[in-house]
Amino acid sequence: MKKLFAIFVLLCGAWPGRGQQAAYTLEIDSLTVTAQRRLADVGLTKTDLDSVLLRESVVNSLGDLLSRNTSVFIKSYGRGTLATASFRGTAPSHTQVLWNGLKLNSPMLGMTDFSLIPAYFTDEVSLLHGAGSVRMTGGGLGGAVVLGTRTERLTGWETQFIQGVSSFGTYDEFFRLGYGKGGFRSSTRVSYVTSDNDFEYVNYNKKNFDKDRWVYPTERNKNGSYRDLHLLQELAYEGRGGDRFSLSAWLTDSRRGIPMLNVNYREEDDSRNRQDETTLRVAGGWSRYGDRLKLDAKAGYSYSDMLYTYAGETGTGSLTEMIRSASRVHTGTLRFAADWFPSDKWMVRASLTSEWHKVSSRERYEKTGYEKNRAEASAFVSVRWRPFSRLGIAADLREDFYGSRFAPPVPAAFLDYVLWKKAGLVLKASATRNYRYPTLNDLYFLPGGNPDLKGEQGRTYDGGVEFDLKGKRISFGGEVSAYDSRIDDWIVWLPTFKGFWEPNNVKQVHAYGVELRGTLTARLGKWELYLNANWSRTRSVNHGDPVNWADESIGKQLVYIPEYASGVTGKISWRGFAFTYNYNYYSERFTTSSNEKDTKVGRLSAYYMNDVSLEKSFPARLWNLSLKFSVYNLFDEEYVSVLSRPMPGRNYGIFIGIRPRWK
Amino acid sequence: MGRMMERIRIFTYLLLTVGWCTACMDYGPLDEETIDFPPGSPRVYVVNEGSFMYGTASLSCYLPQEGRMENEVFARINGIPLGDVAQSAVVRGNSLWVVVNNSGVVFALDRETCRLRGAIRGLTSPRYMHFVNDEKAYVTDLYARAVTVVNPRTYEITGRIPVSSGEPDSRRHPTEQMAAYGKYLFVGCWSYDSKLLVLDTERDALVDSVEVGKQPNSLGIDRYGKVWTITDGGYRNETAGTETPALWRIDAATRRVEKTFPFRLGEHPSELCLNASGDTLCFINGGIWKMGVKDEALPEQPLIPDRGTIFYGLGVCPRTSEIYVADAVDYVQRGVLYRFSAGGEPLDTVRTGVIPGAFCFD
Repeated sequence: MKKLFAIFVLLCGAWPGRGQQAAYTLEIDSLTVTAQRRLADVGLTKTDLDSVLLRESVVNSLGDLLSRNTSVFIKSYGRGTLATASFRGTAPSHTQVLWNGLKLNSPMLGMTDFSLIPAYFTDEVSLLHGAGSVRMTGGGLGGAVVLGTRTERLTGWETQFIQGVSSFGTYDEFFRLGYGKGGFRSSTRVSYVTSDNDFEYVNYNKKNFDKDRWVYPTERNKNGSYRDLHLLQELAYEGRGGDRFSLSAWLTDSRRGIPMLNVNYREEDDSRNRQDETTLRVAGGWSRYGDRLKLDAKAGYSYSDMLYTYAGETGTGSLTEMIRSASRVHTGTLRFAADWFPSDKWMVRASLTSEWHKVSSRERYEKTGYEKNRAEASAFVSVRWRPFSRLGIAADLREDFYGSRFAPPVPAAFLDYVLWKKAGLVLKASATRNYRYPTLNDLYFLPGGNPDLKGEQGRTYDGGVEFDLKGKRISFGGEVSAYDSRIDDWIVWLPTFKGFWEPNNVKQVHAYGVELRGTLTARLGKWELYLNANWSRTRSVNHGDPVNWADESIGKQLVYIPEYASGVTGKISWRGFAFTYNYNYYSERFTTSSNEKDTKVGRLSAYYMNDVSLEKSFPARLWNLSLKFSVYNLFDEEYVSVLSRPMPGRNYGIFIGIRPRWK
Repeated sequence: MGRMMERIRIFTYLLLTVGWCTACMDYGPLDEETIDFPPGSPRVYVVNEGSFMYGTASLSCYLPQEGRMENEVFARINGIPLGDVAQSAVVRGNSLWVVVNNSGVVFALDRETCRLRGAIRGLTSPRYMHFVNDEKAYVTDLYARAVTVVNPRTYEITGRIPVSSGEPDSRRHPTEQMAAYGKYLFVGCWSYDSKLLVLDTERDALVDSVEVGKQPNSLGIDRYGKVWTITDGGYRNETAGTETPALWRIDAATRRVEKTFPFRLGEHPSELCLNASGDTLCFINGGIWKMGVKDEALPEQPLIPDRGTIFYGLGVCPRTSEIYVADAVDYVQRGVLYRFSAGGEPLDTVRTGVIPGAFCFD
């Protein structure tokens, strides 16, 4: 760990240190505090991913973006497969995800698959850590990921086309057409990705008998091909009276193979495992901005059609379908919110959100499944007060309703205090008691759904310090925060002696840790440097009652939650060239609740990943052309990041981007 | 130009430093070792399922005379993991055969050294293996709608016995445990089924079936030619409804149900076994229960109370009638093996792998 800490210090500290030399004089005295804390953000521990990071990851999924640049641990099962988030040591369902105010979490599973959200479809990405999530929605025991698109800046025609060709037969196409005139804005985005995803690897989990000895076979990733199509159309109109109307529609059509485990001895022709999903999200909104009042109303509808199929060869020479599990989810959403500013020192926010889910889940051959409707509602009120310029105080209260039950009220309190204006040094603290009610699968899935489940209750305390210095040539900002959460009645699905899995409230979890992040930008003549780094320590410890005398899980880290994680993105630009380096680290993750180390089959050692890219832009009168060459897994590591899921060695991508100039 | 070169040099230095510090993940082949098994000493293999989709199945070997447990013997000896969801094992001739369900494979190991000798591939979802003779064995299958016929000498699939019910949109019949009566083989069909199939092992054909209750989960045949099975009654909230779980006695010769012994609704009996002399049944229903095959009612008291733990697997030694009970604890850590005498006195307690589900006595 010392090694990683040293790297962090090296990267965060090296450049300001170099500033002591004549060539890089930074003129510390000229640094100014430019960040003015918004009343809406009083006491929040919030990470905004800046435009540099978003641009760098434009061809990646949101899972890749978060994994590389934030303290959120993304558990990725491989290229083009499920990617779930663990925010501050919590479960995937404890991270609430919102896109333009609409909740993306599945009402059946509670979680979000981040591999199905293209970074290209986001213009703003913010993380609300801990208590901050209460401002957006309930149930974010770890936090919330808030995504947004922006059309306000469009003027005239804007077009962008990116095409990528990468290893393993991977082709990426991204297209954006925007138009803005007067109060009207239109934005169309398309993302289309296909991949054979059949990379080669040495399988150390198998042996083949070759001539006179057993050898580890070289295999290809089997059944891993995928094709994802995303279409997003946004329309907005802003009237002179401050009224703004918007309409957006996002279509996702995904066809994915589920790659075979590397301990699977079936041949690719003998087995087919697929997960297909078609989702349409439509949202219409109205908002009005006044001097003291902001009103916002939104109506949305989403439809998801998910199909999991498994087919195998049974001696007939052709594949026979064995599992066909189809789920359809209709969700209607209505949301109304008002922000009122009685004075410059006060802000009152109130919102009411209601959702209605209609879910149908059916397995064809077992003839099991369920059909349920559930209404959910969430009322929220918040008062924020800044009695004098250094101090901000806020109190939030959220009340959720689901089915026919009221959840316990969710209060949250926030405070921030400017310790040192010159350095932009702000002390922040927050506390909340949060609540997450069970998902529809938790309650009704067959077999196993447990209608007697209790909701999860979490108490979270945050404290931290942030600073933000901006100068003519250099900007440097950062934050250190610590948190302590206790979650009671943690819902976990486990196998049973009955032959199926069942959710139960079996755990009390104590999650606590420290998060550090820093961003440095410097302009040194024709050179530009950008550095973003994060480091976190996450303890997520089971403090439940032992199952019996033999239970060794008490006091141990939860499975698949790394204790340490860090990431660095560095970018250096010169005369249209840009070199980007990305580094990502996770410490060992345990795969047993007892944190077994004396095992040969359940170890996941520390993960280090290095990616680099070189980009060159060619501005011309009619267009701006850019070429980018990326090398992923620079040191050609052989590894798995989830047990038995093979990952590719060094691989490459080349991208061409064209942005015509219409004026 | 000199200043630029200086900057490039600094940048390269930083990159190489980071690269040097951050390369090399600890991943690669497992070390192989030799385990010193006492020659001729009896062994009890514990088949540990491991966590589903983790690939952490393992094989443990317990030496009752020495009171010694060796875990992860397959991986330690062969340098590869056993696979995903190990289901069962059986000893035949000089080989130990281990069925690994979600890996779609049956491994053949040397009976003395546990070294890998071969593997039967091309299986859909294998569950149990039964030897008809040295050159023919049956492998039951959860999804294939067929029992696979294999040649253990060549590790090849030689045929399939279709067992499809013919119903549209149905996986029936999923085949599980087997019990032989002469040339006939009774095959239990557990998952969403209610049949015992009867196969003719000379003709490799399905010849008959016996209707029992919902989900016969285990099967055995006693010394008097009676087939016993436990039905668990299906799943709670199942759309087709659940029924009372029961113990069933079927005459193997006439294939007629002779008697049912109902449990209480909500109980979940499982893991039916027979003792060495074939005159006593053992099963899990919370605790461990024992019942004579001539008894006309279920016992009133368990032989071994559950003591606050949920037992997952059960085996009875075919030589000593000692009772081996597996406890999966929370299903995400190493389990526990409890060894009891035939009378239920505790003899030993040792740790196993993750989710110990089945036993194989050698």
